Amino acid sequence: MPSDLNREPRTPGEPLLRVEHLVKHFPLTQGIIFKRTIGAVQAVDDVSFELRRGETLGLVGESGCGKTTTAKTLLRLEEPTSGAAYFNGQDIFRLSRGELRTARRKIQIIFQDPYASLNPRMTIGDIITEAWEIHPDVVPRAERSDRARDLLERVGLPGESLNRYPHQFSGGQRQRVGIARALTLNPDLIICDEPVSALDVSVQAQVINLLEEIQDEFGIAYIFVAHDLSVVRHISDRVAVMYLGRIVEIGDEDDIYEKATHPYTQALLSAVPVPNPEGREHRTRIMLEGDLPNPADPPSGCRFRTRCFKAQEKCAEEDPALIDRSGHGHPSACHFPEVLLSVGS
Amino acid sequence: MSTLLPQADRADVPPAAHLLAVEDLTVEFRTRRGVVHAVNGVDFHLDERETLAILGESGSGKSVTAQAIMGILDTPPGFITRGAIRYRGTDVLTLREEDRRKVRGQKIAMIFQDALSALNPVFSVGWQLGEMARVHRGASRSEAKRAAIELMERVRIPNAAQRVGAYPHEFSGGMRQRIMIAMALALNPDILIADEPTTALDVTVQAQIMQLLAGLQDETGMGLILITHDLGVVADVADRIAVMYAGKIVENARVHDIYARPAHPYSEGLLASIPRVDQRGGKLEAIRGAPPSLIDLPPGCSFHPRCDYRRDNCTRDVPPLYEVSADRGSACHYWQEVLGAQ
Ligand SMILES: Nc1ncnc2c1ncn2[C@@H]1O[C@H](COP(=O)(O)OP(=O)(O)OP(=O)(O)O)[C@@H](O)[C@H]1O
Ligand SMILES: Nc1ncnc2c1ncn2[C@@H]1O[C@H](COP(=O)(O)OP(=O)(O)OP(=O)(O)O)[C@@H](O)[C@H]1O
Ligand code: SF4
Ligand SMILES: [Mg+2]
Ligand SMILES: [Mg+2]
Repeated sequence: MPSDLNREPRTPGEPLLRVEHLVKHFPLTQGIIFKRTIGAVQAVDDVSFELRRGETLGLVGESGCGKTTTAKTLLRLEEPTSGAAYFNGQDIFRLSRGELRTARRKIQIIFQDPYASLNPRMTIGDIITEAWEIHPDVVPRAERSDRARDLLERVGLPGESLNRYPHQFSGGQRQRVGIARALTLNPDLIICDEPVSALDVSVQAQVINLLEEIQDEFGIAYIFVAHDLSVVRHISDRVAVMYLGRIVEIGDEDDIYEKATHPYTQALLSAVPVPNPEGREHRTRIMLEGDLPNPADPPSGCRFRTRCFKAQEKCAEEDPALIDRSGHGHPSACHFPEVLLSVGS
Repeated sequence: MSTLLPQADRADVPPAAHLLAVEDLTVEFRTRRGVVHAVNGVDFHLDERETLAILGESGSGKSVTAQAIMGILDTPPGFITRGAIRYRGTDVLTLREEDRRKVRGQKIAMIFQDALSALNPVFSVGWQLGEMARVHRGASRSEAKRAAIELMERVRIPNAAQRVGAYPHEFSGGMRQRIMIAMALALNPDILIADEPTTALDVTVQAQIMQLLAGLQDETGMGLILITHDLGVVADVADRIAVMYAGKIVENARVHDIYARPAHPYSEGLLASIPRVDQRGGKLEAIRGAPPSLIDLPPGCSFHPRCDYRRDNCTRDVPPLYEVSADRGSACHYWQEVLGAQ
């Protein structure tokens, strides 16, 4: 391995990212010539969390709950409506474009679709070395092709791949290219937005294992966005569950998977089919009624109350804060948090 | 196997009349890049009230198998080059066009992964649901509307009477899939083929749809073919499972047997490679490599380039579907070793 991909050992557990009250609303407009704003999709609404160095935070929740929007604002691919995100102590939301460019080196992203995220007209070599054109100080020009080759080999692709084009690779191989590209600037954080969802079942495990190895080797933190709760459990140290733009429960992997206290987390987990038919007749499942409410007009009080099996009057009146009210050791945004022992298998 | 006999001979001696029996089904696509061997001699059967899962990853030939059964194969370039598709003993491929259409149109129904593109955006869902009644039973407008509302209620769409005039885009993904199921049920089919019916849906909605399908199956006694790549869904609902790889069924078994002790290296590999929601991390046992090109299939066993049990003859001899037990087959020369490994 090239020497400066090996970093000096760092104290694990030191906070790398602190997101405070992140809000992202997309205005809804009407009219073609004279647009007027008639409301806003509350894609992300007051989200706060911390991420430590070298740690993986899983972000789960159903389609439209705001996972991708959260990720994009952290990269300033979307401008946040309000809030702060301290990365290595600096609020990324307050950086000028120039300052952002430097800060962005340390945050990279891997997308879901390995087909769409690689420019088909560029060779793999160009794709890998592109970032070094923008940040020429990272790797001296003379060393770039060697370094690119090393990176490709590290992600399990032959060094000769440099001269080939994305269409000459399978989905899993393209995702490896995406990972190699994310590593070029020695990031502290990689945001993975559904990185294995588009891959064949038999190839998913290869990429998950690779992501884990790379994390161990380089001490990179991940924000791992996925709707597959099994994959998230496997890879995450901590997990945040989102519903309609909010985090409803956050905790260590086993807090969420073994001791969930929020009815939404419980319903979500109980809906995941377990790949073991033994005892399936006796499995309990919490069925959620109805559809996701309109994110431009969320329910009063608790946003989950319209589908919650526990909802009471208080839930419509009072918005439950994300706190540890029950002494279970992790916060949950439910007025009536409790661990359900029968959830899952 | 009677695979080499002319089809007419085989139609005379139907095997025990399963609700559906697919025999040696072979489908190829003749493309400019070459012949795509999409389905390579597939056998399975389905009985009433039974749920058969066809499990396989992308490109393994699941949808093409379903399309061949339904008669909706893209021809050309796709051709059925061998095999029989027997509905209650009769090979539909040998039937007169008109009879064939009757069986496929009324006795076998199908739902797809992408309900939005399967529905017509410019007609209300009520109109689309009522069409079945209008076309097949000559129902009047108001009768057709009533039939549509009944169908919507059967698949538990809330406020059916109010929503019968709404358009597909006004429904959520889960509701649209219910509408597709309603449409499939309109003519009371004996067989429902569900091709990845929940893949595009959230897990809570998936659970609702699977529960709905199971309820409808109980009610009607129809046989269900569930096409999926999700080992969890299969474990949850299937009676039997057929695992497809590169256009072949490599293992078929009762669902409990295969999860307890797979008899094919690919089934074994899949089970070891998936993370589980009920278990903590640890390293996943990945299957190496990637599925083969269907234009240029590896000789011998198609799985051999990725297989840990491989010996010399695997690269030469195509494994037949060996009988593991009465209701179980594995297309691996070394299935006994695989079974013994667990
Ligand atoms: N550019 C945009 N303009 C308007 N609304 C948007 C925009 N991007 C996202 N949204 C809305 O914001 C909400 C959150 O979307 P987001 O893509 O973050 O969800 P997600 O959790 O990533 O969902 P998925 O699992 O489907 O990827 C949704 O209601 C979405 O329709
Ligand atoms: N119209 C077509 N023309 C050419 N090749 C086709 C056509 N339809 C399917 N194929 C090929 O047949 C093979 C099997 O495809 P099929 O759609 O059955 O896969 P599948 O198992 O359903 O996969 P998925 O999980 O992605 O839906 C693929 O290699 C595909 O490219
Ligand atoms: S606060 Fe009320 S509505 Fe919200 S999750 Fe808890 S019980 Fe349900
Ligand atoms: Mg997303
Ligand atoms: Mg398919």
